[in-house]
Amino acid sequence: MHAELAPLGVEIVTVSLEMSEAEASRPFIEAANPTHRSLLDPMHQMDALFGVVNIPNIVWIDETGTIVRPAEPGWSPGDTYPDWLKAFVDERAAATEAKAAEVEATNPELAAKLRGGQDRDSYADAIRDWAAHGSESRFVMTPDQVVAGSQDRPKEKSAGAAHFELANHLWSVDNRPGAIAHFREAHRLQPDNWTYKRQAWSLIGNEAAGGGEMGRFNQGPLPGQEDDWPFEGTFTSEAGATAPADYYPKTLEV
Amino acid sequence: MLVDTLDIDAQAFHAATGWEIKPEGACKGEMCVPLPDGFELESTADRLGMAVVQDETAGLWAVGPESLTGRALVTAQAPEMVLNDVDGQEFRLSSLRGKKVVLVAWAPY
Repeated sequence: MHAELAPLGVEIVTVSLEMSEAEASRPFIEAANPTHRSLLDPMHQMDALFGVVNIPNIVWIDETGTIVRPAEPGWSPGDTYPDWLKAFVDERAAATEAKAAEVEATNPELAAKLRGGQDRDSYADAIRDWAAHGSESRFVMTPDQVVAGSQDRPKEKSAGAAHFELANHLWSVDNRPGAIAHFREAHRLQPDNWTYKRQAWSLIGNEAAGGGEMGRFNQGPLPGQEDDWPFEGTFTSEAGATAPADYYPKTLEV
Repeated sequence: MLVDTLDIDAQAFHAATGWEIKPEGACKGEMCVPLPDGFELESTADRLGMAVVQDETAGLWAVGPESLTGRALVTAQAPEMVLNDVDGQEFRLSSLRGKKVVLVAWAPY
């Protein structure tokens, strides 16, 4: 998408919210063979600075440095994955589609709810519209709308971010118990922050799985190791029980 | 913002949080919050709604982001963000002024 948009004066910058070393992100970046900048954000600055609470999330910034759309769920077309991950992603997409078809047939009310999230396929068209029409694009928000549309942040969420920063640091210096205690506080204080949860689940899950290419996608205890899991939830128990409209809230209609 | 002492100066606070201490107070974008007693970390953090969390064992404090308006953004002016790219080269978001920027957050999990 960068090649398409760059001539229109649009720069795409990707930011990986991953605490581990660059090698954790590199296979994905290389698979995408990007012409755009690929940054690493081990401290999750995107959460604190822009109000990112899930991935993927996109922020639009205009030529004057003004945010014209705050962090929101968004996708660019033709997402690419390393070869070893393609089968997993395809399998999960097929399972999601099959489940949606089943729900559609048996529970139309629930099906409507499941359709309520941000639309993956059309999001890139909104970016294209902005690239073509600039400030005249119907997707551009006023500064007041941008501020009001950013994530809510009462003081306990600030405390959650502080605990996450401590967890992040303590993990990096191999203080595992200290890091886990702060991760748990971060999760308690920011229950809607999926990057805080997925990051912590992924670190512990990867550890349990012994690393490997798929280790970071293991975000819950292995069978028989349930008592060792240090968190209240897992990806399956929490994200799996969250409707798409809540997991990837709809913020625009293309 | 992680510190091992609460005795930090205004420059360090600005660099870490984006809030610049000026005669009119702590400022970010068009917003300025008066600091009647001048800059001091704990009182300034309190006025900006930044939680200060201590880990006594580690000898560290973490200062959370501002929450004074109840939203993650207090201004639509994009904050500065300095990150390394995958090859270790430092990159400043502000270097893209003059272009539209699509900032994409993702993660390998």
